[in-house]
Amino acid sequence: MTQAATTTARDFGRVLAQRERRFAAALLAPAFLALMATTTFPLFFLIWTSAFRMDLAMPFTNGFVGFENYSVLLADERFWTSLVVSLVYTVSTVVLQVVIGLALALLVMDMKRGQGLFRLIAILPVVLSPAVVGMIWRTFMLAPEFGIVDFLAINAGLGSKNWLGDPLLAMISVIVIHTWQWTPFAFMVLLASLASLPEDIYEAARLDRATAWQRFRRITLPLLRPAIVMVIIMRTMVALTAFAAIFTVTGGGPGTATEILNLYAYRKSFTELSIGYGSALAVALLIVTILISAILFAMRRAK
Amino acid sequence: MQSFKPTRRTFLKTGTAAAALIGFGPAVLRGAAAQEADLAPYKSAKIDWQQASGETITVAVIPASYFENLITLAPQFKTLTGIDVRFEKIPPAQIRQKCVIDLTSKTGTYATHAADPMYYSLYAANKWVEPLDGYLKDKSLTDDAWFKFDDIIPAWRAADSIDGKLYGVPYDGEVTIQVYRKDLYDAKGLKPADTLEAYVANAAALNNPNDRIWGAALRGVAGAGQNMYIYPSIFREFGGEWFKGGKLTVNGPEAEAALAWYVDLMRKYAPTAAANWNWPDIADAFSQGTVANYIDAHSSASVVNNPEKSKVIGKVAYARWPKGPSGKRVTSIWNWGFPINAALPEKRKKATWLFIQWAASAETQARTAHRFAGPTKRSGVNRTSIWKDADYVKLMNGFGSNFVEATMQALQEDTDVDWRPRVPQWPAIGDTMATAIQSALSGQATVKAALDDAQKRIEPMMRG
Amino acid sequence: MTGKRLRVFALLAISLVFLLAWAFPVLWSVLNSLKTDRDALAYPPKLIFTPTWEAYHDVLFGSASILPNLVSSMVISVGTTVVTMLMAIPAAYALARLRFRGKKFAGFYVLATQMLPPVGIIIPYFLVLRNIGWIDTYQGIILIYLSFSLPFAIWLLVSYFEDIPFEMEEAAYLDGASRLRTLWRIIIPQVRGGIAVTVVFVFLNAWNEFLFAVVLSGNTVRPVTVAMFNFVSVEQTLWAKLAAVSVLAMLPVVVLGVVAQKHIVKGLTVGAVKGGGRR
Repeated sequence: MTQAATTTARDFGRVLAQRERRFAAALLAPAFLALMATTTFPLFFLIWTSAFRMDLAMPFTNGFVGFENYSVLLADERFWTSLVVSLVYTVSTVVLQVVIGLALALLVMDMKRGQGLFRLIAILPVVLSPAVVGMIWRTFMLAPEFGIVDFLAINAGLGSKNWLGDPLLAMISVIVIHTWQWTPFAFMVLLASLASLPEDIYEAARLDRATAWQRFRRITLPLLRPAIVMVIIMRTMVALTAFAAIFTVTGGGPGTATEILNLYAYRKSFTELSIGYGSALAVALLIVTILISAILFAMRRAK
Repeated sequence: MQSFKPTRRTFLKTGTAAAALIGFGPAVLRGAAAQEADLAPYKSAKIDWQQASGETITVAVIPASYFENLITLAPQFKTLTGIDVRFEKIPPAQIRQKCVIDLTSKTGTYATHAADPMYYSLYAANKWVEPLDGYLKDKSLTDDAWFKFDDIIPAWRAADSIDGKLYGVPYDGEVTIQVYRKDLYDAKGLKPADTLEAYVANAAALNNPNDRIWGAALRGVAGAGQNMYIYPSIFREFGGEWFKGGKLTVNGPEAEAALAWYVDLMRKYAPTAAANWNWPDIADAFSQGTVANYIDAHSSASVVNNPEKSKVIGKVAYARWPKGPSGKRVTSIWNWGFPINAALPEKRKKATWLFIQWAASAETQARTAHRFAGPTKRSGVNRTSIWKDADYVKLMNGFGSNFVEATMQALQEDTDVDWRPRVPQWPAIGDTMATAIQSALSGQATVKAALDDAQKRIEPMMRG
Repeated sequence: MTGKRLRVFALLAISLVFLLAWAFPVLWSVLNSLKTDRDALAYPPKLIFTPTWEAYHDVLFGSASILPNLVSSMVISVGTTVVTMLMAIPAAYALARLRFRGKKFAGFYVLATQMLPPVGIIIPYFLVLRNIGWIDTYQGIILIYLSFSLPFAIWLLVSYFEDIPFEMEEAAYLDGASRLRTLWRIIIPQVRGGIAVTVVFVFLNAWNEFLFAVVLSGNTVRPVTVAMFNFVSVEQTLWAKLAAVSVLAMLPVVVLGVVAQKHIVKGLTVGAVKGGGRR
């Protein structure tokens, strides 16, 4: 009797579980089919094309080449340069965003009034298209003899500078532009995290006569750590795949001074029309991205 | 009674409809005007303009006034031939890529497009476009006595031919010439330079950054059609040959000397920014009075003479390229030509040819240039006869002294078919060279290192 | 006491500098869009001038009208948003509320797809779309936009679904409501806020996308971010018009940003805390 009851209960449970699985499958199917079609399939196709010489401009030379694109890639100085540029760009923009964003968040946190205004203005760069941002900076901000930044530089006695034509200045410019656009993101996230910290810990610290710096080091920073790491992860992924702003501002120039890996892959594929080699570059970029995110996620887990 | 409730869909529909109305409204008006337009000059050609009536062709062009003028006349073409022409405007930085992609996919989206002459090698090697000699000779398609193909500027025809076969018909073109400030030159008693050495000397004499005057400016921005449009002239003037023993060589001694000259001039006498300038930037700077001389397309004259922007109107004069150490002057043979997409069905190919013939004809050229009703008239007409037409010459000479003479002489004497290396791999080679030149201009690499690197990258491309 | 005042003053100054730095490029474009080309080109830059709507009139109703491109951007963004939401809501619900084998893997998969660099997706996509003739079509662009909008939307929504108390669903089951009905009648109303946030983000990202658009667009489908380049013309840069086009391209997202400010901040923080979301 009790035996039978448990069996039916178990059967019933199994039926329920099965129903739940089916329901879940039905709900997931459209999204996952779309995801497979738009991400997984292209990934395999990309790896496949990277094993070919595929020059749209010279179709008669096309054919299977195995790993040749990769051996060429390893010996390609421009690939290594672009990898370095990508890393410099990523690390510097992410560090700047987090440092400035955190400093501003701490500052605004103490403000009694004007927080709303800060939030409102900070939204502005974040919602804009990087392509439009690039266009505005390239022209109205940085164009020598015309842009407002150059005007300020001249009046500050620095003289007219070739903001986008000098290798070092161009790199600095694209880093500043990215930082300009995305620092508000770090700022808003960290501000929200700060606001959610419990107030009583601070009270206790104040009673202990801890200095402001000590309070920051010992209390705020450890508590904010998860949020900061998350911001770093998200911003790194974006910086690694940034494209539009650099494309519009310098196109990778002067020379190859600001040519991130992403842009090199694009230029190879769509300007030089060497799709096979471009695919190999894109695969390399993917590998770099995976490595970096693995490191970052490990960082997140480590306490 | 049905109440009208705007849903998202109807909103979008009306939105598109409104957009369509705004877009095509003027075309309808123009269409009406075209009915009355005089088509007689075209009808005197002994061909049947209506033979491909009913076809629709798409033409890719860049958003430039010389094409805008042509677009304005399109309704006349429709009345004349019964062929519908859709124009698609593509930003200059994207048109080559888009058109090559269309040609590779053989979908025939663009019946013809504004083609870069450097791309014909590629097109011909892949048989993506039609050889046009057959169309020229076919009496049912072309009345040569009317079309007068030989009247089209020879250098441009040569630029659009590969191994003696014609692949594109030039529509509009340009040559590079010196554009200078006569007032500044006169004040110092200078004459426009006749040699590259004198050019540097002039630039040095006029360079005065403290007063916001720079001696010279050449385009420096990277691009197969940007710095790789200026540099080849210098290279050839220094006696450079692209092919040595059948091998494309870009790092020989002449190349080094030429690039060093370019870099030196830009470093010393050009605004620092010019290393990143395209020609509109140069023309803008010149029109604001900060540049004493630049070498660029003759068509930039219309910008430096634009009354809405320019401060130097009446102070501008022109001269040919200075001679290089080899004794040669080398100007650009740039032109926008129209090829025929080989992927089209036969009847549409004919329709496309009729369009090309119409656009390149002396009558249409005149109607889009000095006889154009709008404010911007073309300065790059394709016909020798028009360059001698009194009305056209009068209009062009309004740009400043010696304009027509300098341009005509450059067109007739300074052109060089081997100005740039004409090989199918040009898209990759042009981009590689452009990057190398800019590395040198910006100081990212030395002249030698930049050229050696370019050579290293170009060699595997040529191996095919 | 003066030390404290000094500090307040310094803080105020720093805040003002940052506010100005963030707002300035946008304001400066607006100013330039109201100039004539001559005023826009003037040196030193002009702050005082006679404003004119000429540039707007030209870019909206002139021969190179940007209007079709604005329509194009709108169709793409709305289309992407609708399709994304229709797929993401059920998927997010399943990931957040249902028990099934492979759930962990499914969640990881959604996260992992965000790692693919866009340039790696566009190369194969371009080859495929070219073969089926979908280049320069709305379906082609919207389909590929799913590659970044879907994972993002699912991830954001999951965190909202997770916050609903289970009791509500259980009560509905006990009443004998079917699962679909429960989802529709009970759950979805609970996450309206989350859906609004997600819609805003998906729309913004679709409107602002550039790389895919530049490769896949043509005459029929050319969003404003790509068409903008027509104003850096071969003949001359049309400064005032370029500014006007930039302002028009920014307008919808800025308006959306200001109106949905709270949603955006919330979306950013939720995403950040839970670990999804990027552009």
